[in-house]
Amino acid sequence: MAELSDRLVRCFSSVFPALTQEEIRAATVASLVDADSLASVTLLAVIDEEFGVQIDLESLLELESFQKIEQYLRGKDGAGTVPNETIK
Amino acid sequence: MNLIEALEILNQALPENAPPLRAFLACGLTPLHLQTFLAAHLRQRSPQHRVEVSTGLFGDLAGNVERLQGSSYDLLFVVIEWQDIDPRLGIRSLGSWRVVDLPELMKSASLALARLEQSLLRVSATVPTCVCLPTLPLPPLFVTPTYQACRYELQLRQLVDSFAVSISNESSLRVVSAQRLDEFSPPHGRFDIRSELMAGFPYKVSHASAVASLLALLSQNPTPKKGLITDLDDTLWRGILGEVGTEGVSWHTDQHTHVHGLYQQFLDSLASAGILIAAASKNDRALAEQALERKDLIISRDYIYPIEIHWSRKSESAQRILKTWNIGPESVVFIDDSPMEVAEVKAAFPEMECIVFPKNDSLAIWDLLRRLRDLFGKSAVSEEDSLRLKSIRGAVTLRESLELTGGSLDDFLQGADAFIRFAFGKQGADKRAFELINKTNQFNLNGRKLDESGWLRLLNDPDAFIVTATYQDKYGPLGKIAVLTGRLRDKHLEVVTWVMSCRAFSRRIEHHCLKYLFEKFSADEIAFDYEATTRNGPLQDFLRELLGVTPSPGLRLSRNRFFERIPPLSQQIEEVVCG
Repeated sequence: MAELSDRLVRCFSSVFPALTQEEIRAATVASLVDADSLASVTLLAVIDEEFGVQIDLESLLELESFQKIEQYLRGKDGAGTVPNETIK
Repeated sequence: MNLIEALEILNQALPENAPPLRAFLACGLTPLHLQTFLAAHLRQRSPQHRVEVSTGLFGDLAGNVERLQGSSYDLLFVVIEWQDIDPRLGIRSLGSWRVVDLPELMKSASLALARLEQSLLRVSATVPTCVCLPTLPLPPLFVTPTYQACRYELQLRQLVDSFAVSISNESSLRVVSAQRLDEFSPPHGRFDIRSELMAGFPYKVSHASAVASLLALLSQNPTPKKGLITDLDDTLWRGILGEVGTEGVSWHTDQHTHVHGLYQQFLDSLASAGILIAAASKNDRALAEQALERKDLIISRDYIYPIEIHWSRKSESAQRILKTWNIGPESVVFIDDSPMEVAEVKAAFPEMECIVFPKNDSLAIWDLLRRLRDLFGKSAVSEEDSLRLKSIRGAVTLRESLELTGGSLDDFLQGADAFIRFAFGKQGADKRAFELINKTNQFNLNGRKLDESGWLRLLNDPDAFIVTATYQDKYGPLGKIAVLTGRLRDKHLEVVTWVMSCRAFSRRIEHHCLKYLFEKFSADEIAFDYEATTRNGPLQDFLRELLGVTPSPGLRLSRNRFFERIPPLSQQIEEVVCG
């Protein structure tokens, strides 16, 4: 299970390289992507690529935080191997 | 490369003083991940550079190219999609797909491509330019079912193909191979309609990576290999000469050995483009010579030179071939069906590309031919390419003749009917001069290479001059063999680049080059941007002899000194002013 969390941290870290792991784990999505739509689209693409799960922008904001995105991905059986799926 | 890897590459720290590599990505789509991938691929290929990829306005490809100042960038990448040719060929712009509008759409597409061609021709004179033609499927706007090509669809593709043919004639403009892109990124997996509607970015992430990868590769333009050494038995042909005899070896379909014929045909093609081909075989010499004389040999026998056939080590053969060709092992590919022979040559020449010929695997041979095309590929074939082998044979004849007769160089030069043509001026399409600067190591003023953007800057620098020398004598033409570039400021003459092909040594062409400069510019002194390298020994020897001391950076040569020291020069000289 720790592996999923680390993979998600890597996704966030690649898009927000200035943040530490602790800052990423504590971050709210809105504080990161509200002002930067390019970053949000990139983050969504990276998560899609890493976990095979498509999330749209509204859903990303609804998920609110790193922790909730992690919980959402944990809810998927075998996240990272599931076929592409879109949540609306 | 996936997106997370691309981002991580770009997040890697660089030294503060890393030189910039400035690229412009001209496209009509939102650059998004394409920009990221392009920057990452460029960074991977130029890890010491601070890669900067700028972009223009969304939906305005032609305008982005038209507004571009090429001299502000090192590289230009142009990515064209159907909607850049006409917005109706995309899905974001809602207009008309009515049948009656299709003829007008064709006219509009033709005009758009003509406009783009004009601006590309202009800007590519100042910056190396790589172009990717439309990669996405056309929308279902034609009247035919999707499995039937509509006349208008064919017409559109013809327009794009004509456009591509026209721009590919420009030496500083290269087009991505659609076939290669198909291999990297299958056509059915490219279009991301969701991303197109949401963000104006129509590429699947994997397709963006493939397009960026090929564009970066195309911009790199590596120096091609110069020579190939091939084994004979079970390589150039199937069978062992010593076992089956001259008529027993084969390369034909009826004997199921066609792939060897294909290999011969490929080597023949390489040779026709100026690549040197030699044979190295452990064999009975008379037998091998007899087999090479067979009339049904696909490769022209004359193309194979030299031929090393004996029972000694293959590395000894390779050594002698390199000496005859006068090129380094890093410029050569060695091919043999025996892994042991390949390993032996590789151990002797680690820089040489050594490949095992996959004699029983047709698919692997197909892959080998494609790999060889990449190693030897070049944008265009020059006149000098066709002269290379002839001039090497001439040099060997000359060397043997001097050794046999014991004659002096003066005697030889006087009887050689030699002729040197100096061309003064800037010819943008002169790829041979650019090639010589980048492939010449031994007679090279400072060993510095020049990338395409540097070459274009030189061509556009009003203070800079370029001189090339072309040589021929009774042993045959050598073609363009020397290039000098420099600047003249306030009567101060500085030579920045000076290279001369090793094929032109021992003819005093280097003395003629300096004499030409002193006389052309009425200069009292020439300053040289000289630097010793591990490989420019011949240039160092020449300067040492001329100066009487070991050359060092900041080198200057006075007119008086030069004319006191030059030996007799007997060649005829002609000057051509161009550009």
